[in-house]
Amino acid sequence: MKANILIILKKYIPIGILVLLFMGCERELSDLKPVTFPDNPEVFIDGFSAGLNYAAFGGSVPTAFDVDNKETWNNSKASMRFDVPNVGDPQGAYAGGVFFTETGRNLTGYNALTFWAKASESAVIDLVGLGNDLGASKYQVTISGLQVSTSWKKYIIPLPNSSVLTAERGMFFYSTGPVDGKGYTFWIDELKFENLGTIAHPQFAIFNGEEKVETSFIGVTQNISGLSATFNLPAGVNQSVNAAAAYFNFSSSNEGIATVNESGVVAVVGGPGSAEITARVGNEVAKGSLTLQSIGTFQQAPLPVHPADDVISIFSDAYTSVPVNYYNGYWEPYQTTLSADFEVNGDHILQYIDFNFVGIEFSTPTVDATAMTHLHMDIYIPNTLTADAQLKIELVNEGAASSATSVVNIPVSQSNKWIGLDLPFSGFNGLGSTAKLMQIIFVNENNKISSFYADNIYFYSDGTQPPPPGEPDVAAATPTYPAANVISVFSDAYTAIPGTNLNPDWGQATVVTTIQIQGNNTLKLAGLNYQGIEFGSSQNVTAMGFLHVDFWTANSTALNIFLISPGPVETAYSLAVPTTGWTSIDIPLSSFAPVNLGDVIQIKFDGNGDIYLDNIYFRKN
Amino acid sequence: MNKINKFRKIRIQSFLLLILVIFWGCERDNFQKLDDRNWQLTWSDEFAGTAGQLPDASKWAFDLGTGDNGWGNSELQSYTNSPANVSLDGNGNLVITAIRSGNSFTSARINTKGLFSQKYGRFEARLKTPYGPGLWPAFWMLGTSIETVPWPGCGEIDIMELRGQEPHIIHGTIHGPGYSGGNPITKSYALNNDRFDADFHLYAIEWDKDKIDFFVDDYLYQRIERSDVPGEWVYDEPFFILLNVAVGGNYVGFPTAQTPFPQKMVVDYVRVYQ
Repeated sequence: MKANILIILKKYIPIGILVLLFMGCERELSDLKPVTFPDNPEVFIDGFSAGLNYAAFGGSVPTAFDVDNKETWNNSKASMRFDVPNVGDPQGAYAGGVFFTETGRNLTGYNALTFWAKASESAVIDLVGLGNDLGASKYQVTISGLQVSTSWKKYIIPLPNSSVLTAERGMFFYSTGPVDGKGYTFWIDELKFENLGTIAHPQFAIFNGEEKVETSFIGVTQNISGLSATFNLPAGVNQSVNAAAAYFNFSSSNEGIATVNESGVVAVVGGPGSAEITARVGNEVAKGSLTLQSIGTFQQAPLPVHPADDVISIFSDAYTSVPVNYYNGYWEPYQTTLSADFEVNGDHILQYIDFNFVGIEFSTPTVDATAMTHLHMDIYIPNTLTADAQLKIELVNEGAASSATSVVNIPVSQSNKWIGLDLPFSGFNGLGSTAKLMQIIFVNENNKISSFYADNIYFYSDGTQPPPPGEPDVAAATPTYPAANVISVFSDAYTAIPGTNLNPDWGQATVVTTIQIQGNNTLKLAGLNYQGIEFGSSQNVTAMGFLHVDFWTANSTALNIFLISPGPVETAYSLAVPTTGWTSIDIPLSSFAPVNLGDVIQIKFDGNGDIYLDNIYFRKN
Repeated sequence: MNKINKFRKIRIQSFLLLILVIFWGCERDNFQKLDDRNWQLTWSDEFAGTAGQLPDASKWAFDLGTGDNGWGNSELQSYTNSPANVSLDGNGNLVITAIRSGNSFTSARINTKGLFSQKYGRFEARLKTPYGPGLWPAFWMLGTSIETVPWPGCGEIDIMELRGQEPHIIHGTIHGPGYSGGNPITKSYALNNDRFDADFHLYAIEWDKDKIDFFVDDYLYQRIERSDVPGEWVYDEPFFILLNVAVGGNYVGFPTAQTPFPQKMVVDYVRVYQ
């Protein structure tokens, strides 16, 4: 009997020891959770770890990944080889895929995914990371632009907050394209999760660490962007990773003004008032925040009233817009303007912040607005102006030497409300043709506008007949020379030589009329063969330097201008036709030798086509 | 031996085994057994005070500027006595901060020269190091004869130095005549899967007429005896204490664009015993 006891004791004492050990060092039984996932740290050591699968991304070369037994780290049995294709590879444009497990793994005991890597040449792998499970990929972590060299080196992808990774399926993924058009190969080996005491000083950020302040309205939603986690690596340098929203805990300082959900979607729900959106990861406060100053109910821009048939829309929810390349060209290096476009109750609004200038481009294809008469846009300046503001709006027609400009004065009283602008094309200084419009540019002319919203940007026709084809739709530019330096023949800007006859009967076929273009008198020579102009008195132009003339023709193939002195002594000067818009020319009077410049009596044109003329005058140098 | 006794013996053995296994499983390794000493505190600074305050002027003086050839080591920083570079944090710590502005750096170096020095004893500081390539924090001592006997004749004892690109390794070193600069008596102590900037650690020497012992967290990792020194033993005079964070220099190399700044050395206390 005693022997039996001994045997029993011998059997059970070790078990008792084990039980005591567990009680002493391990957690209490009551802490154990019913379901746990395997915590295997190995992803690929010398082959696929238990339960690991691979799937290539759509559009990538499906065979890009292979197991390599030759090129391995530390002469181990196998590594992962990735062949990045050349540009134009019929199999696919890039290499990319996911290593995932069927059942999740518990990664809460690790703080990094590590691997050794080398490449056939120094290269940058576009994206590597984990947390891609081919589904919601809730806990995705990536490094953008991983520099690899031709020698094996250890790389570390820090886990932002592994306490949430209780059942992660996305072990590793990558995506990368050719370098300078050429493919290359890289290898990864010893891919595993580790708990490294040698990475330290976690820092987290939302909005790239910026403290953003935005004016907003009820109904505006936006995503928290610029989420990152930064850890100091064993070599003392920082490594940042892009981190999914699910690693963060977001909060709003005022849920009555703005809410934020666990996916990082911020919604303005009340106002007026303000709310600050911040984030934490574990106990660490993330750098960066968003302060929303809600004005309250959004005031929509007035609904456009122009029939769709009379409109070419660039940006509006009321019309179908033409293809637009961009609403903000981010023109380097001088542009500061950023876009913070938003949507309220289905209405899309452009918002330009840190405004100095910004351009909208619609060049593919360009817009033929010849049947249109106006540019319409609604703008809203969401802060109080300190003084009257000037917004310069430029229209650019393809091929034009410069943009056409119109400056709008915005009184202080017009801030914080929608301002409807209807700008006639005729009000754009220097606008020639509108047949190939390609850009609208906004310029903060007197630097009073820090930001503005824009909506309903479109060209429209106000019903007035656009000029018939072949006739200028804008007047020639008004001359600026002082009248004292000018002897004028034909111009609204100057007093002409008294008694000048614009249509002397020299037996010509040309039909001469004076027409008004944008209220400006313009001399039209229709069906030109030749045409004279007789001065009211002989002119001594020896004190002058040039003969100026503005001319416009869509159909002429030959045009000469002559200066005539008694004799007659006449000399022709050829003008380039047809024109693109108005051509403005200053002909040196010396070009007309041997005409007697002390006694000029006539001007003559010859050639063909329909010619529009303006601002014919002699001027000093 | 009767059966009862045998049973008792098994029970005792099992009990001992149990205790042994429990110690293996749960406890840290025993530290080295060193002779107990009866240290008496002779000087200390616990760095109590309000945030932004400069260190106690009765205990610490400043080294300012760039020294001669970057303090003899082509160091890049300029030392200041600005609170931005050296001040109390209000939580009982002294913080020395290295700051980058463009291509130039400021930091701080403080010393007890003329205020406190001692021959032999235990010198310790509990501190958290900065990190990053090109950062070079130090807790160290110089012989008071430096005014008349140029370095290295005056002797130098580096209780703790660290290269920011290796934040898991510290170095304990002595420089003297015939064994200085690139050829000192030195030894390193590395943490396994941890780093010195992640938490506070206690750095100490215990120094008598025969030897200098170097400790990290009371673990003796280096003993230098008189006979270990290839030149003269110059450690029989009072030494004063220095604390600094250097940037760049021969010992550590240049900081890189990736070196995070600002960098802080946080000192909980400095204590000296006899």
